[in-house]
Amino acid sequence: MNTIKIPLIVALIGMLAIAAGNVGAGEAASATSGYSYGDTTDKNGNCLSCHGDVGKVGKKMFIDPVKYTHTNHARIGCPACHDAVISGHAGSGMTTAKTGCRQCHDDIDVEYARSSHAGKTDCNGCHDPHRVAAPTEISGQDINRMCATCHDTYEISASHGKWLPQADLHIEMLPCITCHTGSKNYVINLYIIKRQEGVRFGKFDLASYGELKKEAGGRDILSLIDTNGDGYVSLDELRNFNRNPQYKELRLQGMMTPEQVTHSFQILDNRRNCTFCHASGPSAMQTSTVAIPEANGTFRKVAVEKGAVLDALYATPNFYMLGGTRNAMLNKIGLVIIAGGMVMPVGHGFLRFLSRNIRNRREDRHE
Amino acid sequence: MSKHMIYLHPTPVRIWHWLNALGIVTLCLTGAQIRFPEYLNIFGNYRTAVLLHNTAGLVVAISFSLWFFYYTLGSRKITQLYVPGVDDLKRGVLRQAFFYFFLYFFGCPNPHHATPDSKFNPMQKSAYLAIMFVLVPLVSLTGILLMNVSPLRELVIMAGGLKLLVGLHFLMACSLCAFLFTHVYLTTLGHTPLAHTKSMWTGWEEEEDHGEEAEKVHQAKPLADPALVRVKASS
Ligand code: HEC
Ligand code: HEC
Ligand code: HEC
Ligand code: HEC
Ligand code: HEC
Ligand code: HEC
Ligand code: HEC
Repeated sequence: MNTIKIPLIVALIGMLAIAAGNVGAGEAASATSGYSYGDTTDKNGNCLSCHGDVGKVGKKMFIDPVKYTHTNHARIGCPACHDAVISGHAGSGMTTAKTGCRQCHDDIDVEYARSSHAGKTDCNGCHDPHRVAAPTEISGQDINRMCATCHDTYEISASHGKWLPQADLHIEMLPCITCHTGSKNYVINLYIIKRQEGVRFGKFDLASYGELKKEAGGRDILSLIDTNGDGYVSLDELRNFNRNPQYKELRLQGMMTPEQVTHSFQILDNRRNCTFCHASGPSAMQTSTVAIPEANGTFRKVAVEKGAVLDALYATPNFYMLGGTRNAMLNKIGLVIIAGGMVMPVGHGFLRFLSRNIRNRREDRHE
Repeated sequence: MSKHMIYLHPTPVRIWHWLNALGIVTLCLTGAQIRFPEYLNIFGNYRTAVLLHNTAGLVVAISFSLWFFYYTLGSRKITQLYVPGVDDLKRGVLRQAFFYFFLYFFGCPNPHHATPDSKFNPMQKSAYLAIMFVLVPLVSLTGILLMNVSPLRELVIMAGGLKLLVGLHFLMACSLCAFLFTHVYLTTLGHTPLAHTKSMWTGWEEEEDHGEEAEKVHQAKPLADPALVRVKASS
């Protein structure tokens, strides 16, 4: 690639692109936001030839090309946000203006500004613009890592533990945004977690793309679970996966995640009321997906047959939300058992009542 | 015809019994709310139900352990009291069942007479054995795991998963609840409906001597330690 000498031109093109985007918002290729996306390489390649190489720019200025290239930001290109970068800036030590998120994400900016988190941090506190991910392609664990840069997990466990039993479990099993932002619906995402390599009772962590690829013998990772390859996970496939001794170091972790992400961060009083989650009813409990890691660090969500988390045993053997995901069959068996306990009082009591005269006569004889 | 008062339930056993009774009833009610929150709200809110359930569960688990050690190490009567013997199994259970489901309705006396060394009839022995040595320990252990899912995760996995533990816990709890109904009903079969309850409260059981037939049974079972039976003359 013959780069390096043309950053100014690239920057100019970038500016033009923004201008064009703003002017021609209506007829732009992308239906939603009005930026012409086009090919990624010609917009970022020049910059990444230096910034994609730690050796050339150092850790602080490094942009991970793998994490960056798949994002929508890559499609609009570096210059869209760094229009003030001049050629020969390398080594100049100058700082340049960056286009604020607001310019393009106005609605979110407004929403965030009204939330109780406004002023605590800005967009960059949670997002790295060079490795953003859409809500569907990020894991719950990664969302919590986002928050954990400022909110220490142990402190959060302790402060939530004042009102929330087993706070450590909740914090592990729920993305913070499930309680701190509103959403109409919730889905259960199942993530593949893996025991630390070589450690007997090692912790389970989100399994990486590489680890699972190895486990699948180079085939598609989904084939670990979706054995018939129809791109859909049935309850039987889930059960087989969970009971397969070959995968005993792998588990599925269920996380209840908002279906729509909003930025109205707040303390929602109804989350203090446990039955927001611990009650059956919301159809969301029926909906679940398996999250399969991709090479670029994102996740692909694969649909799972309805009712996986409500299965009695093996579809999701380690996910149980008290009350919420109880199994209907077990309820019936329980009812039969309790009814069995009533047989004695009711049946015997009835005969006892009928036989009261006989018994009294007999007892009188004893006196 | 004389009436005896025998001292059947020592104080620690009575305290233990009523603590358990309170604990298990609380556990059943809170447990029902925890599993069926849309239908039941007995304790105000879910959190209270969970906290009460945890507390009552711990109380019952600890009192179970105390009971276990008291009987196994302290007084070593556990097998004598709770384990049905060969004779119990061969004839006792049947005889007792025959009494409850047949003879009782004709006003015949109970073939079993409670003494401190033979407190339970063969049916009770079998039922209590199952409950005290299988149900209560298992329901406590699964409960302790469910109370500490995150710290005890390794054990939860080894036990076969959260769902399995929850399922077992629930079904065993239903069995205990079923037992409770039967148990409470059977206590009303004394010579007065409240007689057995009273004796569990005061410790003294009123013993009625029903003619020869009963006397024979009584004597057929010599007491291991007659000194334990303090016989109070009454009426
Ligand atoms: C969506 C807008 C956007 C795009 C596209 C973008 N950046 Fe940035 N970039 C920013 C913002 C905003 C900052 C400031 C981040 C901060 O202050 O934390 C920044 C900071 C930087 C920095 C300073 C180091 C750092 O990470 O804070 C470098 C270097 C950089 N960008 C290079 C690039 C390169 C190279 C590309 C294209 C491959 C690119 N950027 C694409 C918005 C963008
Ligand atoms: C010749 C290699 C090279 C190329 C090509 C290059 N950069 Fe840089 N860039 C650097 C180096 C080195 C630094 C660190 C500057 C410093 O330390 O003063 C830097 C710094 C930056 C910064 C941070 C400046 C600040 O505000 O703190 C941004 C933003 C940036 N580059 C954007 C870009 C963009 C956008 C492109 C493509 C149009 C690009 N760079 C192309 C080497 C390069
Ligand atoms: C030049 C316009 C522009 C700027 C400036 C910009 N974005 Fe974006 N961003 C987009 C477009 C276009 C998309 C894709 C469509 C959408 O989701 O709106 C996008 C998507 C995203 C996504 C979802 C990830 C994805 O790949 O779809 C996140 C998160 C995001 N932006 C955060 C930020 C943050 C944080 C900033 C400020 C540092 C920022 N953006 C600045 C244009 C911009
Ligand atoms: C307190 C943390 C936090 C702050 C501050 C924050 N976000 Fe987000 N944002 C998130 C989370 C969590 C998600 C969902 C996961 C994801 O997509 O990264 C998200 C998602 C997004 C998305 C993708 C939404 C979609 O539906 O595709 C965009 C765009 C975005 N944020 C822009 C912004 C902008 C612009 C700001 C500043 C006004 C901002 N965010 C501030 C946490 C934050
Ligand atoms: C860049 C740092 C930073 C990040 C990242 C961050 N926060 Fe915060 N947050 C703060 C600060 C600072 C406060 C105020 C001090 C406090 O209460 O701890 C705060 C407060 C809060 C509060 C209390 C708000 C109130 O009304 O009192 C909530 C809830 C919250 N954050 C949730 C989140 C969530 C959820 C995330 C992740 C999606 C997150 N935060 C990420 C810095 C951050
Ligand atoms: C089960 C729901 C739930 C989850 C999950 C949850 N929170 Fe909260 N959080 C709450 C509620 C409710 C409050 C208000 C508590 C109060 O007023 O005492 C709160 C309060 C807070 C506060 C302010 C008070 C404090 O404790 O400092 C912060 C900050 C916060 N949460 C951050 C987080 C972060 C970060 C996460 C994820 C690691 C998280 N929360 C997960 C429900 C939740
Ligand atoms: C935002 C949803 C949410 C809220 C609100 C919530 N929980 Fe949970 N709860 C969960 C999830 C998710 C789990 C873990 C499920 C799993 O991974 O097995 C859980 C697990 C539990 C457990 C562990 C038992 C088990 O199922 O393994 C208890 C006890 C519990 N919650 C009690 C409460 C109480 C009490 C409250 C109210 C103070 C509450 N929860 C509020 C979602 C929630």
